Amino acid sequence: MSNQLRIVIKQTFRNHFKSRGYWLLVLSPLLFAAIIGGITYGITKMQGNTTPTIAVIAPSEVRQVFTQSEKSLNINVSKTTDNKTANQSLTNEKLDGVLVVDNDKATLTTHPKSNAINKEAINHILGDLSRQQKATTYGLTSAQTAELIKPYDLKTVVKQSDNKSTNAENSDMANYGVAVSIGIITTVIVMWYTSMIATEIANEKSSRIMETLLAATSARVQYFGKIIGIFGLATTHMLIYIISGLLAYLGFKDNAIVENLSSSFSGVTIGFALFATLYILIAVALYLVLTSLIASLINDNAQVQQAIQPITFLAMVGYMFSFVMTNMPNNIAIKILSYVPFISQSMMPVRLVTKVETWPAAIISLVISFIAMILLAWFGQNIYAKNVLSYSDDKIMSQLFKNLKKQKN
Amino acid sequence: MLELNHLNKKFGDNIAVKNMNMVLEPGKVMGLIGQNGAGKTTTFRMILNFIKPTSGEITWDGHPITQADKQKIGFLPEERGLYQKLTIEEQILYFAELHGMPRAEAKVALTDWLQRLNVVGKATDKVQTLSKGNAQKVQMIASLIFTPKLLILDEPFSGLDPVNTSIMMDEIVRMKDNGAMIIFSSHDMNNVTKISDNLTMLKKGQVVLQGGVQEIREQFGRTKVYIEGPFTQDELTNFPGVITVTQQGAGFDITLSDEATGHQLFDYVTRNGYIPAFSQQPPTLDDIFRQEVALS
Repeated sequence: MSNQLRIVIKQTFRNHFKSRGYWLLVLSPLLFAAIIGGITYGITKMQGNTTPTIAVIAPSEVRQVFTQSEKSLNINVSKTTDNKTANQSLTNEKLDGVLVVDNDKATLTTHPKSNAINKEAINHILGDLSRQQKATTYGLTSAQTAELIKPYDLKTVVKQSDNKSTNAENSDMANYGVAVSIGIITTVIVMWYTSMIATEIANEKSSRIMETLLAATSARVQYFGKIIGIFGLATTHMLIYIISGLLAYLGFKDNAIVENLSSSFSGVTIGFALFATLYILIAVALYLVLTSLIASLINDNAQVQQAIQPITFLAMVGYMFSFVMTNMPNNIAIKILSYVPFISQSMMPVRLVTKVETWPAAIISLVISFIAMILLAWFGQNIYAKNVLSYSDDKIMSQLFKNLKKQKN
Repeated sequence: MLELNHLNKKFGDNIAVKNMNMVLEPGKVMGLIGQNGAGKTTTFRMILNFIKPTSGEITWDGHPITQADKQKIGFLPEERGLYQKLTIEEQILYFAELHGMPRAEAKVALTDWLQRLNVVGKATDKVQTLSKGNAQKVQMIASLIFTPKLLILDEPFSGLDPVNTSIMMDEIVRMKDNGAMIIFSSHDMNNVTKISDNLTMLKKGQVVLQGGVQEIREQFGRTKVYIEGPFTQDELTNFPGVITVTQQGAGFDITLSDEATGHQLFDYVTRNGYIPAFSQQPPTLDDIFRQEVALS
């Protein structure tokens, strides 16, 4: 690496790293997450005990079943057995509900401020009790009764290509979660950093600082220096999130929400996490290269939005397809798009984690993106050098196509 | 030594520079003059390798300008620009580093430059807080702090107030005395005359005049006379060989058809003895510029 390239990279990185804007970019999502987490935690704490208390007005054997099922039903069974007293307590909001069981009928009365009661589970228990009662009437043995009320055992299993099976419910949750996360992370990071590099180049070009810079260095040094510098910022940004995520996990791993989340993502291995991170980084580099050469056509800062709009749109295409894909993973167009640079980063990692694609296919897709990035970077330096000091009244995209045509010839 | 040999530059069908030859030696200042669009900035851009010549070559000490050579070039563009959100120090140190000057060395030199150019403010002030005059000085420092071997100044005096113009001229002279090759463009003939050793006058991309400033002026003969005395404008206008007479303060500016007429005019105006002023000069650069470029 030449000394000048190192200086440009360092300067680009340092200027942004020291700026308030960068830290606002990095910290605002963390701050947002912390605020949401804090509010959720606060609300839960303020609510105090949310387990509903229910009076069960029923024969003693029925009450006993409900008392024994308190934990699974997430209820507290009140000691009140008198209907009138129970209703009085309900009116005074001392109880959340009164369940009156009378032969084949049962009534659950609540008030508007009652804590949530799992009615389906109560109904399930009442059904079992009714069937048990009827079985006794029909003279069935306890074994026969048990056999009769046993629910049908339906297991849902996803057969994977590596002959391993996973729990479908967990897998679906994880897949959806991963698809959403990768899509959002890639799109947001791409949008942030393409905007950053476009503004940087537009600022230097419109303020004519570029002429002073190119008097000492070459367009090539400026081009690669800026891309690598901004890429360094994106990598640092991701590292901050990874480290924050790990620290948050270690700090709150016993928290119910974190436990729930980590069990949902149990299908995500370290190998996959590395692959997805690498893919996102290559995609960011690819988009930075594309943005740099388009930004070299900008005349002034007002054109930055015009320049990055098609790039943002392109990033959004992959994001949209990542959702479509979860419903139709074997669609041929989806399959092809999983190998197309600029789009594949939102699709292939999801296809890999859902085991729709194998590791070799995923690596081929990653390598294609990497090669595309290198080729575009190499090819783009000529466009950058040609345009970074010229000012045209043509629209940015028409300038770009003219340049591509010239390059081709 | 910087040499431009048979340099040509075309943009489509438009000829921007045509068969330009130029030699610039260390410790010399070359003034490049011409109307807007005459090819001055294009010439600078070719030297800086921003654009490639259509034909011809540019050499530095006999070889094409390399990246290492470029680091020794100080360039002040016509349209000035600085990073508004950086401090003076961050900005200058970055440019100095790009030109191969160690950061620590540049930091020490910056203190000296800020003092010498009387920049109001501290090195840690952001450029956006500076006045226009101080920002101009900072731009000047950015181009000069690393002691360039070749200094290219595109309209260095444009937009400068008289104080900053004078500072800029002093610095150009200082760089020249240190052995730098300096090439600059200007519309202000007064400044060109003051600091240039040589000048190149361009017209539509072509060199119309080139050489030492005094030598070029002398080429046109001493056809300008300024006199003061008890004469009328009509009397002088009717004198044989006098082309124009213009009242200029207490005296008259006279243009002669040829230098020899000056002797006859002198004899005539001094026939009664003493007169307060008689000065016969070659035309000024401004006159030559008007004659050769602007009006022709």
